Amino acid sequence: MSHADLAKYFKTEKQMEFSTDFFTNAENYEVWDEIDFANLEEVDGENTFEIKAEDVTFYAEGCLDDNPLMTDEEYATNSPYGGLVPHPIFITTICFWCVGVKGKGNWIRTPGARNPGQVIEFYENFRVGEIIHVKMKPHDRYIKRGKCYLQYQMDAYNQDDVLKCRMYATLILPRTREDIRKFLKGIRGLED
Amino acid sequence: MEKVTFESVNPGDVLPPFTRSVNQETFWKYAVASFDYNPLHNEPDWVKTAAPFKIPFTVGHGMMTLSFMTSVVTTWALPSMLHIRKMTSKFTRPVEQGWEVRCSGVVSEKHYITKGKNFVTVEVTAENQDGALLGISEMEVVFPD
Repeated sequence: MSHADLAKYFKTEKQMEFSTDFFTNAENYEVWDEIDFANLEEVDGENTFEIKAEDVTFYAEGCLDDNPLMTDEEYATNSPYGGLVPHPIFITTICFWCVGVKGKGNWIRTPGARNPGQVIEFYENFRVGEIIHVKMKPHDRYIKRGKCYLQYQMDAYNQDDVLKCRMYATLILPRTREDIRKFLKGIRGLED
Repeated sequence: MEKVTFESVNPGDVLPPFTRSVNQETFWKYAVASFDYNPLHNEPDWVKTAAPFKIPFTVGHGMMTLSFMTSVVTTWALPSMLHIRKMTSKFTRPVEQGWEVRCSGVVSEKHYITKGKNFVTVEVTAENQDGALLGISEMEVVFPD
């Protein structure tokens, strides 16, 4: 679905700006068999994410959760939390935004990638007004039942460098760049 | 809603379920909410031949399913100021259009550490309307006092 067709759903500034096309530049995404596990240096994501109320409420709307602590700013402000409480899986939105298109970690955009399940640690709730940045490094790469798994540790910090959340982002990926090219042509690029 | 305390929770306690119906519109809207525009979820024409799951139609995001599963716990825990500190999850089957995703949770473990660090583990499962397992998760929930 094109950016123009998706636009009817857009409500936030970030949604209008974000690149919805996961095909463009896909040939340059990091690839399972090319990740350098000799270099485990932590790197910064491409972008920072300033959390606005609209980001929090839209995520709840998108995952069909009508909890007023997530959707009603006035209600949440008057609650013991003193403000909106993002849905925990809002970390997904933050990671996709912060990783960006051209930098390390862009393999999470790989067309045809499958999600086998995730491990996430939460240290503090995200809050509206925080500016989040993500640091990441390769964590594991393995084959299980013929599927190629890649796992990065992605740490989300606020503007004061307080660690808010750690996600061991894991996907089943095409093994080679040629496999990605197959997917770009609409041909299955997985070996299992 | 009555406040949930560490003393009041016990293994075997069942949390209120969280059930949602999904279709292609749900997948598109979740893509916009999460910035996950993998064509596996968004491009019906592409998936007919590319078929990452070996099925020729789009499926829901794993993180959408995990969001539903997490909502079982947040709906129960947030009003009592409880905090999810860790979750592990595994998806066993992709979610198809027209399905109902039924998530349920049960307290499986109670950990007596010390005040402020006591926690319980909640096992959450997601099934479709026919009882097929879609995902499982364990979520650790900490009690502040």
